[in-house]
Amino acid sequence: MAKHSPVIGRYVTIDVDGCEYKVFYLRNGQGIPLVCQHTAGCHNHQWRDLLEDAEVTENYDVIAYDLARHGKSDPPLNREWWKEEYKLTADHYMKFINAFCDALELRNPIFMGSSFGGNVALQLALHHPDRYRAVIPVEAAHYAPGFYIDWWRHPHANAAQVCASGVWDLMAPQSPDMDRWLTWHYYTQGSETFKGDLYFYSVDHDLRGKLGGIDTSRCPVVMMTGTYDYLTPPEATEETARQIPGGIYIEMEDIGHFPMSENYPLFRNYLKEALRLIDERS
Amino acid sequence: MPMSVRDWAVKFSDASDNDPTIAAMAKYFTCKYLWDMEDASVIVEMVDGKVYSINIDPGPMDPWDFALRASAHTWREFSRPVPKPMYHGIYSASFRKDLKIEGNHLILMQNLRNFIVQFELLRKIGVPV
Repeated sequence: MAKHSPVIGRYVTIDVDGCEYKVFYLRNGQGIPLVCQHTAGCHNHQWRDLLEDAEVTENYDVIAYDLARHGKSDPPLNREWWKEEYKLTADHYMKFINAFCDALELRNPIFMGSSFGGNVALQLALHHPDRYRAVIPVEAAHYAPGFYIDWWRHPHANAAQVCASGVWDLMAPQSPDMDRWLTWHYYTQGSETFKGDLYFYSVDHDLRGKLGGIDTSRCPVVMMTGTYDYLTPPEATEETARQIPGGIYIEMEDIGHFPMSENYPLFRNYLKEALRLIDERS
Repeated sequence: MPMSVRDWAVKFSDASDNDPTIAAMAKYFTCKYLWDMEDASVIVEMVDGKVYSINIDPGPMDPWDFALRASAHTWREFSRPVPKPMYHGIYSASFRKDLKIEGNHLILMQNLRNFIVQFELLRKIGVPV
């Protein structure tokens, strides 16, 4: 008897700023839509264990997509994208997520993202609070400079290894070897997009002085960061949450910047608490 | 009392040369680097994935490709079996602690995968400071 996963993969085509994107997503569950964004330079397989978590999918419709240019979602099919340097902006990123949710006819989903996915979660809470039931920015901050660097795609080095090993110590040493090496493996696959993603993460994403404009009565914000994250250290997330009226911060012990893929059994404890807090508020 | 640099060099060579993760991609792991631990320094020369030599008393004119420099305290933190946050890697310690990375960064990047695996061997064998 073959062992099949309950997770289903599909494509949906959307238009974003005139770009035709054929978007791949994985889905499992029922109930409140929980839309999940992977980290920069990676893909939706980071959410593989959440997608198969029966306790969560009993009440949540878990949907993890590949952002355009990542995993199985190609660059725009109607443009000569290879003639332009890829630099992701906050505006295009938010339009992509909104268009994707519209295409799937999701009503009032929760949006969760990690790292650059966490930063765009903050952007969504500020600019589109009525479209989302709540956001869960994981490993996020209002401003995260310092990672938009040339080494990620330097032609004289093995970019796949530079990206994968360059993010290695974003993970906690306690996380299981298998899961850390799987995350490393994913990071060997997206080196050409990684730097362009980080244009958003470290340059275009800048909510300094704007956090007071987030209305958590319309869109609750529950932030979570691991103690081994050196890029968005816990104090950065805590400070961000403090500046959001009604913002909530949860510190995750003994985990790093890729909690969902480096140590899901630990991450799920914090995620369940975040979902409980959101359930109380919505 | 920390172990002698000489004893450390023997342990490190043995651990590195027998590490299966390094061996799996060892073929072009060739570089020469300095580890400045404040109270001790070494220059490790790697050739095709094996430790070719360890200079345990580097002079001021001895060449290297790139260097890691940090306090003895930081190196001791690196060598804990489970390091505390921000002492768990060269990026974390250079972003948040006193680790300085100097020299030719390109050669570090070209050997990054294996160098990081090798750096974490300190958790098993310790440091001579």
